[in-house]
Amino acid sequence: MDREAEFRRLYAAHRVAVHAYFTGRTADRQSAADLTQDVFLRVWQRLETVADLPADRQRAWIFTVARNLSVDAHRHQLTQAGTEQALALARRDPPEPASAPVIAAERVAVVGAAIARLPEQQRVTLAMATAGQLTSAEIAAALGVPAGTVRYRLSLARRAVAAALDRYDEPREDQ
Amino acid sequence: MSLDDDLAAWAASVRLPDAEAAAMFERIVRTPVVTPPAAPVSSPPAAAAGLDPSWWRHFSAGFAARMVASNRPVRRAA
Repeated sequence: MDREAEFRRLYAAHRVAVHAYFTGRTADRQSAADLTQDVFLRVWQRLETVADLPADRQRAWIFTVARNLSVDAHRHQLTQAGTEQALALARRDPPEPASAPVIAAERVAVVGAAIARLPEQQRVTLAMATAGQLTSAEIAAALGVPAGTVRYRLSLARRAVAAALDRYDEPREDQ
Repeated sequence: MSLDDDLAAWAASVRLPDAEAAAMFERIVRTPVVTPPAAPVSSPPAAAAGLDPSWWRHFSAGFAARMVASNRPVRRAA
């Protein structure tokens, strides 16, 4: 087996989703990147095991590693610290609506702040659906929860983000 | 701008850049693979150490004697 080619295939197939999962878990870009690297380092070390699995089981294997990593005690502390830091940033009042060139960036900040305030399960689910580009069924398989639960969490999360955007849009409409 | 557009814009802002992902890939594949040591050739198990079979004969004889003695009527003092 060409180890590097096989690993490249797995990395390309799952890297975005795994990073999105950790983005949801940690709300911190750097922690998400570090944890993603840890996951794929384990895939690299255990490549013979993973490569022999059917495609759907490969994703399940990778996300089991991801979940185990994220509950690891040491990592958990780092994760909490990162989350708190990110939430502290997110709790700051969104900037006053500005002229057209910066509105798009402000909307991204509003969305990011709203996502950071979501309960963790909703945040992870929404991150995996948007940044990870996974379907509800794929998220359900990766997280080990029913697809209906994923759809429900997505619905709640989207509603919360929409409400935050509505609040952001209101003052500008008054102007 | 729809909610999906806003979420897509946020997703693009948090996504790992390709250059960073490529650097991560290179770091990982340069990591030596730790192969578990080969399992030693298993030798036939040694005869299990245990008590000498005569233990059971001694135990049974003692046990039987105690049972008989304990069921013997108590001799009352005259």
